[in-house]
Amino acid sequence: MTERAAFAPSGSVPAPLRAVEAELARQMKVLQGAGEYPIHSARMSNLVIFSDNRERAESLAAEVPDVVSIHPARVLLVLGEGESGDAPISAGTLVRPRQSKAAADACFEMITLHAAGAATARLPFAVRALLVGDLPINLWWASNQPPPFAGAFLFDLAENAQQIIYDSSGWLDPTRAVASTAHWLEGVSKGLPGGRWRVASDVNWRRLKYWRRILGQTLDASAPGAAAATATELLLEHGPHAVIQAWGLASWLTRRLGWKVKAGNVELGVEIRWVFDAPHGAVAVRIKRHPEGPSEVRQVRLQYRIDDKPAALVFRPLDATRLEVVTEGIASASRTVSTQPLSYAELIGRQLSDRERDPVFTESMATAQTLARSLMR
Amino acid sequence: MEGTRIPSSHSSAPEGTKVFESPAALLPQPCQLVIFGGTGDLSWRKLLPAVYNLNVDGVLPSHFTVVAFGVPAEGTIDSDPDEYIRARARDGISRFSRQPLDEAHWASFARSLFFVQGSFNDTRAYEQLNARLESLDQQFGIPGSRVYYLAVPPSLVGHCVKHLQAAGMVRDPGDTTAFTRVIVEKPIGRDLESAREVNRVVGASFAESQTYRIDHYLGKETVQNVLVLRFANSIFEPLWNSKCIDHVQITVAEEEGLAQYDPSNGEIIATRAGYYEGIGALRDMVQNHMLQILCVVAMEPPWSLAPEVVRDAKVGVLNCLRPITAADVDASVVRGQYIEGDVHGQRVPGYRKEVRKSFEIMGRELPKASMHSTTETFTCLKLFIDNWRWAGVPFYLRTGKRLPKRVSEVAIQFKDVPQILFNSNPDMQLEPTVLSVRVQPEEGLAMRIASKLPGPKIRIYPVKMEFNYASGFGASSPEAYERLILDVMAGDATLFMRRDQVEAAWQFVTPVLERWEKVGVRDLPEYQCGTWGPVEADRLIEPDGRFWRSL
Repeated sequence: MTERAAFAPSGSVPAPLRAVEAELARQMKVLQGAGEYPIHSARMSNLVIFSDNRERAESLAAEVPDVVSIHPARVLLVLGEGESGDAPISAGTLVRPRQSKAAADACFEMITLHAAGAATARLPFAVRALLVGDLPINLWWASNQPPPFAGAFLFDLAENAQQIIYDSSGWLDPTRAVASTAHWLEGVSKGLPGGRWRVASDVNWRRLKYWRRILGQTLDASAPGAAAATATELLLEHGPHAVIQAWGLASWLTRRLGWKVKAGNVELGVEIRWVFDAPHGAVAVRIKRHPEGPSEVRQVRLQYRIDDKPAALVFRPLDATRLEVVTEGIASASRTVSTQPLSYAELIGRQLSDRERDPVFTESMATAQTLARSLMR
Repeated sequence: MEGTRIPSSHSSAPEGTKVFESPAALLPQPCQLVIFGGTGDLSWRKLLPAVYNLNVDGVLPSHFTVVAFGVPAEGTIDSDPDEYIRARARDGISRFSRQPLDEAHWASFARSLFFVQGSFNDTRAYEQLNARLESLDQQFGIPGSRVYYLAVPPSLVGHCVKHLQAAGMVRDPGDTTAFTRVIVEKPIGRDLESAREVNRVVGASFAESQTYRIDHYLGKETVQNVLVLRFANSIFEPLWNSKCIDHVQITVAEEEGLAQYDPSNGEIIATRAGYYEGIGALRDMVQNHMLQILCVVAMEPPWSLAPEVVRDAKVGVLNCLRPITAADVDASVVRGQYIEGDVHGQRVPGYRKEVRKSFEIMGRELPKASMHSTTETFTCLKLFIDNWRWAGVPFYLRTGKRLPKRVSEVAIQFKDVPQILFNSNPDMQLEPTVLSVRVQPEEGLAMRIASKLPGPKIRIYPVKMEFNYASGFGASSPEAYERLILDVMAGDATLFMRRDQVEAAWQFVTPVLERWEKVGVRDLPEYQCGTWGPVEADRLIEPDGRFWRSL
């Protein structure tokens, strides 16, 4: 095995694990300088970020200031390179002013932890010792490995965490991953022993917020007998790495419409197809991949019949801040909803303080699991 | 002998603040502090640095000496014994003192530091010690007052006090010209019977008013601050009872294990195996420190701050503890022992391996009972105080070695709000209000309350209001030993354990020890170094719908 170099994001000061708190205090003092007012460390929670990829960890380190400007936290950025080289656990520390005009006297602290090879399994011990007591613990699982497959390592890392945040965008082997997620979520939502609260949140679900809004409002407003009640096909198109996003949306929508999956098949990297039983008959649902372009849902097309003629509702982004729905086949004005484009850091920052369980999400994931299993038969 | 009242504590406080001080606070009087076991670890790490800090702070009596008494390691004294102890003190101060070594202060301190070599069982050594003390009385203008600090193993306490008595070194408590006081270190015995015996032996030579049983936890600022918090703020005391408090957790977590290692080669450089093996966490921590903290948290308001009044209030708590009977032990107490794990990124061995290695290094034969040691390095218990104030409120105590971090705190968890209004959403649980008093490492207070997150929706998030002693007052708190040594010199026994307190505490834990001894299991519940204890600890608290706090 080759020796892996320590992970040291820009500005981070290496420190022995035993001396991390002292080094943070020292940096805080330096930041204070001769200032008239005391600098204090702003913390609403502990944020443990885990990545198993060095490049990803470096980009996460760059995003941390933006995340903590929304949700102040003690950040533990953990890089575990389990299968590449060997490196014992090492630590780095960084204290910086928060990027917030409203809190100019506050700073945030980031501790980086790195290990490679066998030492990776011991990272949860180091994390446990560096958490700030009595503050909520959030674990941001920033790995392409889906949480259900992470086993004991995630279990140890998430010990006492009230929220596990993950991003299903870019998961490897999406079908298998989705097939396991609902079961895993069920375990998480049982909470921690002793009745402690715990919730798991998918950033991808948050991204779908405005899609769900325009779809829900449009279908709720459509006349009985129209659109959903005469649907023949639902087509969702997405960019690279956004298949699970589209899958989540399809799961949510078909569940709301009361459709039941009958069968499915997959053409790898191109399209997933299902046949659903709807009250009015069979409906085809397709998720189609675009090989290029933004990594997100690009369009949703619901084909239906009105007066025995084909028509379709097409939902798509109008520009960066609006989604629109247009009707094909009949004369009708387009309608729009305003969206709020959020950076990745903003998505995470908002999710950190949003710890309410979302039953719609868990129900949709249960449907997604059923869809996945239909593909595995 | 009565002391003179002083207005404030020795630590400097910011201008305008009201410094808590017992009305009975007394001025430290001219005396000699004689440290039995003056060459030992406690003296080196704690006592000599503490006295040095008192000297730097200018609160020692003008007429004062420190005399270390004991046997140095072979070959450590070349010529002048006084120079030997000065070198050792300087080393200890450089490493462990709260304030850095200052040459000017050191010079004056060193001039009053002496060493008398001798065995604690040797009658002649006491005669020599007495002669030296009398000579120093003359030299320093001290009226003959002595404080004997017995920093020796429990087995030697009896010998020391008997020899002191026999050598005529103990004054009558009614003597108005000078005083004699003795400080006895924990553990006072290893069960109720032996504690009574220690108290009887000490009591045969020293009156109770001359005896100071030290528990350094009670010298910590935050422990004393619990009294201030409760009785100097009108908002807390009305809530301090079973109507508002759901439960209380007291935690004393240690990072250290039995042995300390040289980081360069992983070899053991120091070990407490000789003391700890066979003693365990219940005797080492719960019986004294934790029950003493419990007393401060749970006691009724004393009618004055006079030492005996405060001590009466504290012993009242111990007297109300619901006895843990043999049948209750398994349901109320959990013990565990650490196994190999990870601390600060280093692999560390389990307890049994450390015991074996430690005895090897000490050159002592491993006792048969220690081959498969069942000494507990972790214990937690649930107890109740059967009085009007605390009826039905569980107190959960936990302590252990090789836990993830060194932290001691008292947490008062208030009852949940009713499940209406903001607590009515089944998809979002409100965290309860918690007041936590941090004893170490960073002394302070914190209050966790629910707050609304900014925004149009009602979303609630727990926030923590914190007060940290060091940053709040801009000065480090005096070490516990500083305060306590000063109190002995001043004759203030408020923060020391009275005989009945010690025995009441032993009375409470002895049934547990007896039950454990009777059961005599070969294997205890285990926990990995660097974790928060065995799963059995969670099973103690979780059936009650509660959980251990994340620290």
